[in-house]
Amino acid sequence: MKVGIISFAHTHAIGYASILRDRPDVECVATDPEHGARPNGESGGRELAESIGVGYVDTVDELLAWHPDAVIVCSENARHADDVERAAAAGVHVLCEKPLATTGDDARRMVDACERAGVWLMTAFPVRFTAQYAQLRHRVQTGAMGTVLSISGANNGRLPAERAWFADPALAGGGAVADHTVHIADLVFGLFPDADAQEVFAVANHMLRPDREAETAGLVSIRYSNGVTAVIDCSWSVPEHYPTWGGLNLRVIAEGGIAELAPFAERVDGFSDRSPLWLSYGADLDAAMLDEFLRAVSEGRQPVPSGRDGLRALEVVLAAYESIAAGRAAGVRAL
Amino acid sequence: MTTPTVGLVGAGGIAHVHLPGWLDLGFSVVVYSADGHAPALTGLYGGRAVGSMDELLDTADIVDVATPTDTHRQIVERAAEAGKHVVCEKPMALTVADSEAMIAACQRAGVRLFPAHVVRYFPAYAAMRSAVADGRVGTPAVQRFFRIGAAPKQPWFRDRARSGGIAMDQMIHDFDQARWSAGDVAAVYATQAGDQTTATTAVHAILRHHSGTITHVNGVWGNSAVSFHTGFSVAGPDGLLEHDSLRHPVLDYDGVSDAAEAGYLPPVEAASSPYTAELADFARAIRDGGSARVTAEDGLHAVRIAVAVNRSLDEHTEITLEDITENTLEDRR
Repeated sequence: MKVGIISFAHTHAIGYASILRDRPDVECVATDPEHGARPNGESGGRELAESIGVGYVDTVDELLAWHPDAVIVCSENARHADDVERAAAAGVHVLCEKPLATTGDDARRMVDACERAGVWLMTAFPVRFTAQYAQLRHRVQTGAMGTVLSISGANNGRLPAERAWFADPALAGGGAVADHTVHIADLVFGLFPDADAQEVFAVANHMLRPDREAETAGLVSIRYSNGVTAVIDCSWSVPEHYPTWGGLNLRVIAEGGIAELAPFAERVDGFSDRSPLWLSYGADLDAAMLDEFLRAVSEGRQPVPSGRDGLRALEVVLAAYESIAAGRAAGVRAL
Repeated sequence: MTTPTVGLVGAGGIAHVHLPGWLDLGFSVVVYSADGHAPALTGLYGGRAVGSMDELLDTADIVDVATPTDTHRQIVERAAEAGKHVVCEKPMALTVADSEAMIAACQRAGVRLFPAHVVRYFPAYAAMRSAVADGRVGTPAVQRFFRIGAAPKQPWFRDRARSGGIAMDQMIHDFDQARWSAGDVAAVYATQAGDQTTATTAVHAILRHHSGTITHVNGVWGNSAVSFHTGFSVAGPDGLLEHDSLRHPVLDYDGVSDAAEAGYLPPVEAASSPYTAELADFARAIRDGGSARVTAEDGLHAVRIAVAVNRSLDEHTEITLEDITENTLEDRR
């Protein structure tokens, strides 16, 4: 299978490229046309592709002319829509990095373009592929936890330092709220596929990094149509020298008890002469996600989480920003 | 000077902790409880049961009010009029007006009033606050507190008219903590899932502090098998402090069937009990006229936050604390 990578703007692209390079059934070619526009010192372009060991072409047109079966779009969030539209127009299936887009119109345009073109659109929510999440979802959906009442989640990370655009609202669609609300929002939708997010109240501040234009801390409260309430801490609150990038925690509060999910918790702890050691050994969720994407494409079925799942998570983010701007709860508008 | 006598009013859950605490500290204790349970309590721990509030006030130098919340004001005012220093279980009262009246009554009578916000004496929380005060993480930007326990069994707790509900009774601990580490609260927004018909109640509150800090407080009254579990995360520009009460146990059992206890109150060791440390701090402040780690004003602020959270639950909107005055709807109830 021929798989293209559009842009190294999102550093997840490096991990995806490495996974694809190691798959004997995949040929991988990347393009990173906007690399020159990124600040000096940020990795990218042909040099990065060669260091990973995947093919490289200079433009998206060249990449699509190579006739890939599928592409992974890892450009800046605000550029997803154009890249996805171009791939769809070329009849190529798409896995798009999260958040799906920075505006509702863009997200709608992407989903519509893929539907029109008859190509599959998947959203990159790798945490869904945690085996223990599947167990938890099974317990919830079979009623073994009793009625679920509420969710408390935290997805915290460092301020993404290796790419400046993450903290540039024009390219990222915001800051921590855009970056880190969607994973937990998606996990909650995964537990309750029939529920809608109805109302969002969110607060945010810039206190962790006042020099950045984007908000670096945020709390997002959500009311769902099934009566479930949730709060997500989406802050970039993990210190720069923390031994790992951050983590994700999800507490599910139910009549039958409480479940705590920490997909990135598995590690060996240690300490070197100077600093803590944190040797993660959990399953490679990115690899599992790419496996679902490529398997679905080859089987001719919708990969999950879908583009529509990305759309629903984005609806929560957009309502959160509306709430932050207005200082009061905002209704969630279906895109 | 002889050791003062403590008059403990009430013989419910918290009295089972305060009575042994006072006795450990060397105080004589007399206990009165309107429900007639005082003799059973003193039978367990010591002290002397008395038959009336008058008898208690005749004997006691310090009155410790450990009764249902809706009775606090009347008992505190009576103790103050009798010239007794007062320790009052949290929450001080169900309303801002009652809390203010209690403070005023104690000021008029020239006696001290200490609301028992015991979490300030839990070492992990004290260590966090001390590190924040020392500037080790910078001004907190975002804080999370959670508090999970089995729902209290006594029905009055779940009757919001009597206990103020989970926000007033349980989450008030973390409202006080949030304010202790990040300063006064400007506004709150809250959601609730579960009610008197469910085994579990979960409330989320989002606090905005005047400092700009944002805080998430999650309170859960769970089913009867749920372990007592609390924790926090405080993140500032210079660092992160995290705690989980179930991590890093000093003693842990495996394969022991009766070891895991569900609970409404946290398990504590008598020798290092935060409850005893709290009572000792109050007793010292009364003795030397100095300040304690928690003041009546702190208790009033915590009540004000909890009242605002309850109003947010009713009105589904963010509530500004300035709007919580003596004449609020909540206070007229």
